[in-house]
Amino acid sequence: MNLCKRACLYSIRKKGKTLTLLAFLLVMATLMLTCLSIRSATETANTNIKKALLGYFTINAKHLDTGIPEAVTKQILSMDGLSGGYTLRSYTYATYLDTQGNPLEINTEDAAQIPDGYENAGRLVANTKSENDSYFTEGGFTLTEGSHIVTETGKQVLIHEKFAKRNGLSIGDTLLLRGIEDQTHTIPVTVAGIFINTKEQDSIGLAPSCDLYDNIMFTDLATASFLLYGTEGETRVQYGDFYVNDPDDLEQIMAEVQGIDSMDWANCTLTRYDNDYQNAKESLAGLQNIVFIAIAVVSLICFLVLALFLTLRLRGRIHETGVYLAMGISKGSVLMQYLLEVVIAAVLALLLSFGASSAISHQIGSSLLSQVTSEAYETVSLTGDAESAEKSSEDLGLSEIEVAVSAKDYALVWAFGMVLCAASTALAAYPIMKMKPRNILSQMS
Amino acid sequence: MNLGLRAVLHTARKWKKTLLVFCLLLAITTLVLSGLAIADAQEEQAEELRGTTGASFTVERNLSTGGWSNGSGGSYSIQEFLTEDMIQRIATVDGVEGYDASLITLPHIFNDKGKELTHENYSFYNYGSYNSQYHELFLSGRFEVAEGSHITDDMANGVMISRELADWNDLKVGDTLTGIYYPQNNTPAVDMEIVGIFDVAADKDDQVNMYDDSSYYDYSSFVFCSMEAAEGLLKGWGEKGEGISEAYYYVTDAAQLDNVIKKAQSISSINWNNFKLTANDQVYQNISNSLSDTGTLITTLIVVITAVSMALIVLILFMSVRSRNRETGILLAVGIAKPAVILQYVLETLLVAVVAFPLAYLSSKQVAGILGTLFDKAAENVIVTPEHFLLVAGGGGILLVAAALISCIPAMRLKPKEILSQME
Repeated sequence: MNLCKRACLYSIRKKGKTLTLLAFLLVMATLMLTCLSIRSATETANTNIKKALLGYFTINAKHLDTGIPEAVTKQILSMDGLSGGYTLRSYTYATYLDTQGNPLEINTEDAAQIPDGYENAGRLVANTKSENDSYFTEGGFTLTEGSHIVTETGKQVLIHEKFAKRNGLSIGDTLLLRGIEDQTHTIPVTVAGIFINTKEQDSIGLAPSCDLYDNIMFTDLATASFLLYGTEGETRVQYGDFYVNDPDDLEQIMAEVQGIDSMDWANCTLTRYDNDYQNAKESLAGLQNIVFIAIAVVSLICFLVLALFLTLRLRGRIHETGVYLAMGISKGSVLMQYLLEVVIAAVLALLLSFGASSAISHQIGSSLLSQVTSEAYETVSLTGDAESAEKSSEDLGLSEIEVAVSAKDYALVWAFGMVLCAASTALAAYPIMKMKPRNILSQMS
Repeated sequence: MNLGLRAVLHTARKWKKTLLVFCLLLAITTLVLSGLAIADAQEEQAEELRGTTGASFTVERNLSTGGWSNGSGGSYSIQEFLTEDMIQRIATVDGVEGYDASLITLPHIFNDKGKELTHENYSFYNYGSYNSQYHELFLSGRFEVAEGSHITDDMANGVMISRELADWNDLKVGDTLTGIYYPQNNTPAVDMEIVGIFDVAADKDDQVNMYDDSSYYDYSSFVFCSMEAAEGLLKGWGEKGEGISEAYYYVTDAAQLDNVIKKAQSISSINWNNFKLTANDQVYQNISNSLSDTGTLITTLIVVITAVSMALIVLILFMSVRSRNRETGILLAVGIAKPAVILQYVLETLLVAVVAFPLAYLSSKQVAGILGTLFDKAAENVIVTPEHFLLVAGGGGILLVAAALISCIPAMRLKPKEILSQME
């Protein structure tokens, strides 16, 4: 009878023992697989946290005659590591005229001075999305009528309520913006919205007329680009904020950006903003380490338990071993038989564990998902009664956390499991194999 | 021979087997204990991370409930200002980690020889500050302390200046400066000692600013001084409209922000009708979902580990009882009652557990110690507490008894004759 047959027969006839072994291996393999899939899921969560901490850099190209050309913006946005979130900004001044070319009236009452040439002019702020401009996010501006500027080329403006009243303007009306230095640049724009300021301007008495809140207008980037650079069909900007996925890569991405030839980087200022991440960095790494510790401890103990278990199992078969040896079966083939038995069980267990841990992972994944929605709900109710001006957290483009058994992890568990089974069987069998058949048999009752 | 003696003898004579079961129990209990410690550490780490998000609330004058008056610089609110008492009172609320408020003055500053410092603007932009490390300019990373220390609320006359100002005027930490707000109006001269020098990391050239007061000053003209010194600068000036209009409170745990705000609002000595409270925790809101996901994942991991450990213990006991079928038969055949046999097995298991559990407590502490040296910071929090031990010992004990009882069921259902004949 060859050893394969013996191994199979043993496995089949000692159903109870085989089942116990199978159950043991199955539980272990499932544990390992689940641990590994949880680990990769926490890595995704970690990446999400890093992304949500919003590391970004700002390019200040105010001193360049060309600003940041559209091609460069596109090139930067196509680089790896950028989250796709960005804000482009331009600031200039323009004279406000009605459609006939007559100047519109600005607030001059609270101004420290009215600079020459700015008698009917005000500050023009252009932002990729006007609602994200600091005047709205920090300065207490709110839109009361109409809608925010969301396109780059809409030829629209938002005006202050007082300015609208003073000049009898309402949504949908057209006015003209004229450059201050280059008066040939005139562009018609329509009023898309009206805003008010909820905080008072604390620099009243210091600020020149054109910087007063009543005299500010928000516009789209193309309009600002036309007034600043005289471009038509191309949008150039003075400033760009570019958000990255991983604030750890900021340095390298900024270096890469400065490698773009078509810009005069010497006259630009690049500033990195990742303070939130720098604050959280250490704690975040700690959290990730804890997961690693957990996995390490589990693997180690799994190894111990399995080795012990297999030893326990083989020790119960000393008598059998003696009989085999007495029958003249070589030690090697007895060992191979034991090994084969374990391997057969291990293969079955590993195959089954894929299904088991996939099911568990799926369960974890779906319970996580439900938690996210309930949490979002909670936030809404809390901010409601704490009288906070918080806006709900915007879409940060975070990736969905998926708890799934990856092929890599599965292969790892296979390799690890097989090595473990072989090693611990060999180890457990070693003391028995050292003995002579007679010793073994006489040692038994 | 009573069952106690039998149990002890079996355990002692079959010492190799006992040792194996013991080792298994030890390993599994260590695993569960470490798991519990890790779960706790996760919570602490997450709390620490939430603390770094700078969640805060702002107390400011409620301009809409106060009256307005007209003065030289246009209309201004006559709402009451925040008082020192009130600011300190709110700072003592549980969960507040730090606070700051700004009293802005625009002084002229002289060195110890009475010469006005070289600087960019007409005057300096001076923030009177309690704890400058909680000032927005430092928190946002726009300014960074390069030398010396921050202003703290126990300093009477500290001042922090910019690196540029220090270079232009040859100043260093420890030097004394004198500030005078309105030299022509006889406001007092206030002596201040330089406690820190800060670097400017931000790009002032970025026109993102909103033309508030400070935007007309170069960053090099920004100065931070102790609140007491700032109040000294204002003494004798006496015009209404100078005071602290906003205070910022940073909380230890962003998740507790709403509770802390509620506690602050319940301080009865403050007329909350005159003040507005606003929560700021955008950073925390951004990461809270991902953070709680991580928490859930780690907790799940520990639950899975515990469940699997329980399953393993049951399996092991099941196996060891099964291998003693023959013995069970003999014991029954010599007339020992079934409950006595079961009790003996349970007792044997407990004998092993009594030794294994305390040892697991020690070994898991050892594991935590080794991890501590490997990952210094994170693993510091991995601590096995006596509570964990009690939980595991209690739960484990019950589980062991239950498992031993269950694994006896198949053997116990049979008659001694059947058991013995079933064997070889």
